Amino acid sequence: MWRFAWRNILTRPTRTFLALIGLSIPILGVVGLFSLSNGLRMLVGNTLNQIQGVIVLRNNAPSPVFSDIPADLPDKIRSIPGVKIVSPEIWGISPPIENTSLIARTLNNLGDQQKRMQSFLDTPVVTGQDTITHAKITTSVYRKALLPAAENGGRYLNETDRGSKNVVLSKKFANQFKNSDNSPKKPGDKVKIGNEQFNVIGIYHTNSMLLDGVIVMDIETARRVLNRPNGLSDVYVEMNDPVKSDEVAQLIEKSFPDFDARSMNEFQNSFGNLMGQLDRVLGLTVSLALAVGVVGIVNTMLMSTLERIAEFGILRTNGWSQNHVLGLVTLESAYMGLIAGVMGCGLALVGVNIANQFLSGGLQLVVTPYLLFLGMILSVVTGTLGGLYPAWKAARLAPMEAIRFGHR
Amino acid sequence: MSMIETHDVTKSYRSGEGVMEILHGVSLSIPAGQCAFIVGPSGSGKSTLLHLIGAMDQPTKGRVVIDGQDLTKMTEPQKDLFRRDKIGIIFQAFNLVGNLTALENVLVPFLPRGITPELRDRAKAMLTKVGLGHRLTHRPIQMSGGEQQRVAIARALVKNPQVVLADEPTGQLDTRTGEDVFRILRELQRELGTTLVVVTHDRRFIQPQDLVLEIEDGLLKK
Ligand SMILES: Nc1ncnc2c1ncn2[C@@H]1O[C@H](COP(=O)(O)OP(=O)(O)OP(=O)(O)O)[C@@H](O)[C@H]1O
Ligand SMILES: [Mg+2]
Repeated sequence: MWRFAWRNILTRPTRTFLALIGLSIPILGVVGLFSLSNGLRMLVGNTLNQIQGVIVLRNNAPSPVFSDIPADLPDKIRSIPGVKIVSPEIWGISPPIENTSLIARTLNNLGDQQKRMQSFLDTPVVTGQDTITHAKITTSVYRKALLPAAENGGRYLNETDRGSKNVVLSKKFANQFKNSDNSPKKPGDKVKIGNEQFNVIGIYHTNSMLLDGVIVMDIETARRVLNRPNGLSDVYVEMNDPVKSDEVAQLIEKSFPDFDARSMNEFQNSFGNLMGQLDRVLGLTVSLALAVGVVGIVNTMLMSTLERIAEFGILRTNGWSQNHVLGLVTLESAYMGLIAGVMGCGLALVGVNIANQFLSGGLQLVVTPYLLFLGMILSVVTGTLGGLYPAWKAARLAPMEAIRFGHR
Repeated sequence: MSMIETHDVTKSYRSGEGVMEILHGVSLSIPAGQCAFIVGPSGSGKSTLLHLIGAMDQPTKGRVVIDGQDLTKMTEPQKDLFRRDKIGIIFQAFNLVGNLTALENVLVPFLPRGITPELRDRAKAMLTKVGLGHRLTHRPIQMSGGEQQRVAIARALVKNPQVVLADEPTGQLDTRTGEDVFRILRELQRELGTTLVVVTHDRRFIQPQDLVLEIEDGLLKK
């Protein structure tokens, strides 16, 4: 019976193949899209895990770059119990680096889909840290990410850098904005930001696309570079007891209702919400694609069932029950689902591997065994469901009706 | 004891304008082990009657009793079982499943339950008896009409049924081949003691001891 079903699929290679394509492409889509969603999740998870304190910024500001807080806020926060360190920061879009403006970069990369995507995500950003307070922070992301001495990581900003022209670059920027002799930037080299020359003193590498687009300098220097004499973007707050950071964050929010104290958990939660929505959109897209796949399978199975009605009649007259015929047709479509699943998952694996060669900055498409398993199940289930209607149609006829119908 | 009985069987088809009655009350009785022929002009209802006997169609009125069992009182699954265990059927043509070899076609009745080596041997022996022992693995398209028909005979008889029904089994064959096929059918019927009912136009095959049922315009001629 199993082999019979198998043979029935194989004897109509073209049609079977088309149906398989019809179903395996949606499966490919399912695996591909969800691997992207997995990848984004991991990227952001990696990013946020590197930050442990609480960031205070303006309500509703999506990120520090779009936030603005009064200059006296840090001192007020400092007086809240449980707060250990308060380090003000300013953030802003970087002026042209090495004379490469944002617009020039974008135009340059227009032709290249992947680079265009990247240039959107890694628009260079300048952050100015209050080097004096920042030095006391235990979990400074960029300090931690400084390359080791063996890789010529240089040093990080410290108290002596107040107002200096010293900057710390990401490894990515070091490679992107090369010296005139085409060597990547290293500590001791100069880098032009806007119209000024700066000294590169350190190179960091977080391996997160979202964090690696940042040039770190002293807050006073950044005020000049970003042309922002007053105000702050956000405050980085570290607690005495990291476990209580959520509590203290709530206390800060209560005391200053205009501002938002976001612990990384909160960032992660709101990101989780976003991803949840993304997953829902993906789910919808996927169901549509699957519906198309099912229609394909139904059509194939229906055609092959109709042209075999007489054969089913013969089987029935030779003692096959309706359930046997139903089982045969369903088995065939389940086989199709199985093959389509293997094809779709295989294609997805290959595709994801290829895509990952071209993706950088910590974003990788992630295919988990669970995702593959899901793809397979989905494929077999849709395949089987797609075969049920034709199977029912085939089995329902009385044997003689089937034979007569089939030979018309 | 009679193997096959019909009691006042009528069969109507719903056609475009109204209802058309094909059989107008046919009562017959065929003893066990008998070879019976249903003859009559084209369109008289011979095939229709045969299908009713084989539980492949439902009479409009009347009763069909095979081996003491009333078909008209059976559920569809019961009829499936009945067909599987008691009836062997041979049609005029298109008897075989194209995707299966000769041997597999003979084994079709057993496919859903699984094929045991004993069944396989039995099917091989049956194919050998109809002279196709050397063509076990051939597909229907690789066989002539007569060969296909012999595979159909092997399939009808492999389960050792009580009743074999044949609807013009030689209709599409030339005279010689038709005679061969019929000879095989009759030999096996004798050997197994099966009740055989044949619908045919061809009276050549009828022998003196056979039962002949003539149908005309949906009525059995006495
Ligand atoms: N499913 C059906 N629907 C409507 N009419 C039918 C159906 N099946 C058979 N008939 C009609 O019933 C009549 C008898 O058909 P049947 O096949 O029993 O004849 P037959 O005696 O076997 O003829 P032949 O010798 O040509 O095979 C025919 O007029 C046919 O048109
Ligand atoms: Mg007929």
